[in-house]
Amino acid sequence: MPPLMAIEFLCRVADVLSDYLGGLNEDVIKDNFIIVYELLDEMIDNGFPLTTEPNILREMIAQPNIVSKVLSVVTGNSSNVSETRPGATASCVPWRTTDPKYANNEVYVDLVEEMDATINRDGVLVKCEIYGEVQVNSHLSGLPDLTLSFANTSILDDVRFHPCVRFRPWESNQILSFVPPDGQFKLMSYRVKKLKSTPIYVKPQLTSGGGTCRVDVLVGIRNDPGKTIDSITVQFQLPHCILSADMTSNHGTVNILANKTCLWSIGRIPKDKAPSMSGTLVLETGLERLHVFPTFQVAFRVMGVALSGLQIDKLDLKNLPNRPYKGFRALTRAGEFEVRS
Amino acid sequence: MAPPAQSQRSPSPSQPSGKGEVSDLKSQLRQLAGSRAPGIDDSKRELFKKVISYMTVGIDVSSLFGEMVMCSATSDIVLKKMCYLYVGNYAKVNPDLALLTINFLQRDCKDEDPMIRGLALRSLCSLRVANLVEYLVGPLGSGLKDNNNYVRTVAVMGVLKLYHISASTCVDADFPAMLKHSMLNDSDAQVVANCLSALQEIWSSEASSSEEASREREALLSKPVVYYFLNRIKEFSEWAQCLVLELVGKYVPSETSEIFDIMNLLEDRLQHANGAVVLATIKVFLQLTLSMTDVHQQVYERIKAPLLTLVSSGSPEQSYAVLSHLHLLVMRAPFIFSSDYKHFYCQYNEPSYVKKLKLEMLTAVANESNTYEIVTELCEYAANVDIPIARESIRAVGKIALQQYDVNAIVDRLLQFLEMEKDYVTAEALVLVKDLLRKYPQWSQDCIAVVGNISSKNIQEPKAKAALIWMLGEYSQDMHDAPYILESLIENWEDEHSAEVRLHLLTAVMKCFFKRPPETQKALGAALAAGLADFHQDVHDRALFYYRLLQYNVSVAQRVVDPPKQAVSVFADTQSSEIKDRIFDEFNSLSVVYQKPSYMFTDKEHRGPFEFSDELGHLSIGAESTGTVVPAQRVEANDKDLLLSVSEKEESGGPSNNASAYSAPSYDGSSVSAAASSQMLSELAISSVTGHASQSSLAIDDLLGLGLPVAPAPAPSPPLLKLNSKAVLDPGTFQQKWRQLPISLSQEYSVSPRGVAALTAPQALLRHMQGHSIHCIASGGQSPNYKFFFFAQKAEESSTFLVECIINTSSAKAQIKIKADDQSASEAFSTLFQSALSEFGLP
Repeated sequence: MPPLMAIEFLCRVADVLSDYLGGLNEDVIKDNFIIVYELLDEMIDNGFPLTTEPNILREMIAQPNIVSKVLSVVTGNSSNVSETRPGATASCVPWRTTDPKYANNEVYVDLVEEMDATINRDGVLVKCEIYGEVQVNSHLSGLPDLTLSFANTSILDDVRFHPCVRFRPWESNQILSFVPPDGQFKLMSYRVKKLKSTPIYVKPQLTSGGGTCRVDVLVGIRNDPGKTIDSITVQFQLPHCILSADMTSNHGTVNILANKTCLWSIGRIPKDKAPSMSGTLVLETGLERLHVFPTFQVAFRVMGVALSGLQIDKLDLKNLPNRPYKGFRALTRAGEFEVRS
Repeated sequence: MAPPAQSQRSPSPSQPSGKGEVSDLKSQLRQLAGSRAPGIDDSKRELFKKVISYMTVGIDVSSLFGEMVMCSATSDIVLKKMCYLYVGNYAKVNPDLALLTINFLQRDCKDEDPMIRGLALRSLCSLRVANLVEYLVGPLGSGLKDNNNYVRTVAVMGVLKLYHISASTCVDADFPAMLKHSMLNDSDAQVVANCLSALQEIWSSEASSSEEASREREALLSKPVVYYFLNRIKEFSEWAQCLVLELVGKYVPSETSEIFDIMNLLEDRLQHANGAVVLATIKVFLQLTLSMTDVHQQVYERIKAPLLTLVSSGSPEQSYAVLSHLHLLVMRAPFIFSSDYKHFYCQYNEPSYVKKLKLEMLTAVANESNTYEIVTELCEYAANVDIPIARESIRAVGKIALQQYDVNAIVDRLLQFLEMEKDYVTAEALVLVKDLLRKYPQWSQDCIAVVGNISSKNIQEPKAKAALIWMLGEYSQDMHDAPYILESLIENWEDEHSAEVRLHLLTAVMKCFFKRPPETQKALGAALAAGLADFHQDVHDRALFYYRLLQYNVSVAQRVVDPPKQAVSVFADTQSSEIKDRIFDEFNSLSVVYQKPSYMFTDKEHRGPFEFSDELGHLSIGAESTGTVVPAQRVEANDKDLLLSVSEKEESGGPSNNASAYSAPSYDGSSVSAAASSQMLSELAISSVTGHASQSSLAIDDLLGLGLPVAPAPAPSPPLLKLNSKAVLDPGTFQQKWRQLPISLSQEYSVSPRGVAALTAPQALLRHMQGHSIHCIASGGQSPNYKFFFFAQKAEESSTFLVECIINTSSAKAQIKIKADDQSASEAFSTLFQSALSEFGLP
């Protein structure tokens, strides 16, 4: 039994179920046994996975949403299964519904990147990597043929594609040529490694002695990406041996959450001062110094920039009746961004 | 159970109180059963939903069976689905009632809506009632020919389900042949994939009893079939692609150019979004290039990036599974990830099982160029909040130190650990320092200085305490107060709960005594007295032994207890390399995740019929019984297993070629070879009758002679071949040869009844064969099946023969497989072997 087959399949089942039921927990499943049974019936038979493409499933089993509920009341057609038989199963592009029609043809391409970074006790950037996805939201009629090219593909370290991407054009010219599925999907994911710098710095300092520990954390912009960095938070887990903590900051708010997590929400970095948080931790009686050092997890978001430097060159569309609207966006946020103390 | 959510669209089951509600439902269903009023479907649906909900939460609603079937007459597809579900769930426990449903299911199988046809067929096959199989054949037959692909997909799986209910019905209806036809001709890829999956399962389990099935199974791996699938691979769903890739992984190309064609074709699969496809492709690449060393290295380079992406994207479960594969790869090719070590740095949020594997990876990839960074990183984990991980990382530092040459910096770090004043860190570090000193005695001065400062009172863990005591004993001449520390430990003898620590204490105080007698004498006396009074057998015995040794002669005692030591160069690896090879053969399976080959964790019945030797563990090594022949045969238990299992795999590979060693172990060709050899017998018989014997007439005579169980054993013919009576072969070489060499002869003989009678234990035969200069390297099994591995060497040259011999005492048959360095001589050797075997049991 290939282990990844099982894991991937279970992930896919979870995705499809939460897609259908709008969430995934015990109660939701209990309320929708029938839908769950129907879906599982189509997704796996005798231990062998069959159809996991959401598009095909949606054709076979209608979603239990409000619209279909209203529709069934109005039309008196009570079946929540579409009358048509699964069309896409026979189509040569299995990920695409047969012949959708839209009044406004539009396609959006988003670059979404996550920065994973580790900064060690000495303040050295040990590891900095970006995991990125090209997400496409397509509402196009007919069978459109799209070509997407980037300005600088050489920086990409490893890429993975949605099954719709043709391999040869990528191999020879680094061009993504594909017939898109309908709606939102992940066209490509990539990794960019060995980045040299992070947009912000976080400098924690812990000094302990005499049964207490003094914490100072400084945050500032290291490498201005040209756009505002917002939603900055810094959090760390208080070690078990800490009895109480008293933390204050000169900007933003500091909260000690129930699970002994200290969360400092900064938001944006102000122009006039560098945000800092400081305070004292009181250790358990009997402990002179702190022996475990917390790891600070940092979150931030930068709109409008892909920090890896990847840029979309152009998007061509063929096989379309009228000129579609094309939209591009980029976003970078912190993934596993951690600073050790 | 969660409180019922007040949802409009589907009322969730309120806490069901059992019987009352079920009978309530029963009467409601009954009312609806006959009614044809409009809107009746809606009320039915609500009721059905309730029934299904009860069923799912585990309330027995089987008493409603009759009513449910009565209500099943509907055109509403959701109602039908619910009804099918109900019937499928309870048919097995109510076989009589299930008969009621056959009728409407069969009718639905002819419905004009393909969806309903498919669903009905699936439900029909899911009834799992043995006496209803006769009703399945018809609908399945027409389902396979249905013009709708959905119905055909369901029908193919239906055939497999039928096979599991009643294999004979399935085979008699000729379904496998129909599936084969569909597999090669159907236009729909999903139908083809299902056919492949079903046929693989059917033929694999049929193969043991039917020659044809095993031939068919072989044919799945033939060039035309594999190429057919490869050419269509892009049409398949991602899951079916995994299946096809699995098949391709078992295919053995005949030419090098094929290998490159296949790899070119599959290269884009490495970029697939589904990790399962990527890993399956990697397996194909690795297996194809096994024999081409430099291409194999290029493959490692090519698969590196996709594998690392798989680790860092996706769920922790996926990371874990992929990391286990990486760990396996890095054992085979340590260099591949040596520059990507940063990928294995642990992240704060990762679950500890992922962290633990990452630490193992960091240990494995460490080499001269990256050790400094890796050790620096590991040292940061030592202060981690997660204590088990902190311990693991200290151990990792130690392991790296033991495998490196330049350990300067590492020793310093370890010594810093000792000063960190954290119990578990100190404990782990002490154990490591002890191991380091055993390998690098030159560091003793530095280490002793630090260790000497540690108060033994702060150490609680037995392992660490034992390590500290060991060092006190070993280096007592350099540690000023060693005798006094030992003395105080001995004073607390009663409070020391770990026998291991007490044992170490005894030895340490002995060593200390030899180095500094006046200071230690008192402590030694106290220790021996306490040891003699100890309730633990080992401690008591050791104390007594030391006491008598000292009584006998102090200088002898010193030579026994404290001899000059040589530095340990390599610490024993816990897993033999053969086991690792086995696991590698099972790449992309759970074996890799469990880190043991599949035969170690699968049930007997799933291993395939021929792997009878479940008593593998009871194997005895030939040398143990035969004594002098093969010196130094110290094979670990694992290796014993392996010796047999490797060969089992070999048989399975079928006809001779090297690559067969890498075919999947579930493949089992024993019946083929048995059948083939009996066929060969008859062919030989005919050819000798007609006088066209082209092969060694001696062999034929013997074959025929032995073929008749009652015939007297033929007089041993003058041996054409002289064997070396003092042949020597170590098990490792044997295994290596066994893997490499093709089978040059495979035959089946009858064993004389006397021989069978004499074979009460394997040892008897071993001694007998040894008399004929055929030596045993391993044997095992229990009545009626015995398995032996023999080897022999030619007298004049070092050419070796390897034999696998399986004797079944109940059928009085012996199956042998011969592999030889010199293939031309295997015929002659076979003759010799047989005559030796036939004499067995003669007075």
